[in-house]
Amino acid sequence: MTLRQAPVAFTGLAIAIFATLLGVMPTSALAGDPVAGKTVFQSSCSLCHSVQPGQNKIGPTLFGVVGRKTGAVAGYSYSPANAAANMTWDDATLNKYLESPRTVIPGTKMTYAGVKDPAKRADLISYLDTLK
Amino acid sequence: MHPRTPTMITLMAFTAAVWMGPAGVAGAQPAPTAHLIPQALQIEQKETLEQISILAQREAPVGPAASQALKLLKRHIAREQEFILPPLTLLPLLADGKVTPDMAWALAMTDRVKAEREQIFEEHTEITEALNRLIVAGIQADDNDAKEFAESAAADSLSDMEILEPTLLLIGDTLRAKLPAGH
Repeated sequence: MTLRQAPVAFTGLAIAIFATLLGVMPTSALAGDPVAGKTVFQSSCSLCHSVQPGQNKIGPTLFGVVGRKTGAVAGYSYSPANAAANMTWDDATLNKYLESPRTVIPGTKMTYAGVKDPAKRADLISYLDTLK
Repeated sequence: MHPRTPTMITLMAFTAAVWMGPAGVAGAQPAPTAHLIPQALQIEQKETLEQISILAQREAPVGPAASQALKLLKRHIAREQEFILPPLTLLPLLADGKVTPDMAWALAMTDRVKAEREQIFEEHTEITEALNRLIVAGIQADDNDAKEFAESAAADSLSDMEILEPTLLLIGDTLRAKLPAGH
């Protein structure tokens, strides 16, 4: 490594450390905005999901989703994959799932590609956090 | 999402007639035969395309959103007609326990469904994205037709995942198990 390359290497290291920190930080620490998240929900989720307790649509109700086990909404017929996923929906699992549902739960019947923008995902999760 | 227009039926019948020749016997080169889909699904597909076509003619924001959904639905429906839905015409016979060698044509289709499940799923995700845009447009324009269509079409995608695809795989398994060897 030459001196000329060192600043570049240092910048890369700093980025790597920052990215690592982001990866382990809880999503709520990324300061999602629940008001903006409600807009994300309406444009990306409301077609299939209700936020009313007990009201299942194409997907299960998202009321109380944070803290809930996968496949646990009464009266909703889950895919075998979701029913057997054995996960708890917290900020971290939601962040991963909402980025790419089929990657986290192969076989899910949710025909949705995911919220690719991390900021929008954080907003959405902040909104889901309010559904209690 | 299952429409088929009378024009398409006529076209397919014509194509089949050309393939089979005037005596209904294939020529020296075995040719593929076009297969219809269940009548109930023909009607359903036709109604779906009629409804979304009407929405596509509306002003923005509903019209452009519906046009995009129409494009994706047409592509999906074409694939359904090509190889996803025809094997369903065998269901009444299979339910009666009848499996005959002339049903072997369906195996290539059910095998293709099995091989292309992820691609079919991907198509549904694209349709869902379009329906999300349509329902947002419907809310903005206070257009209940757009909202109702989007919800109905999304439910149809779920039906494909939950019922249609597993049924096709079962049809394939049944045929493979019961057809005489060599098919």
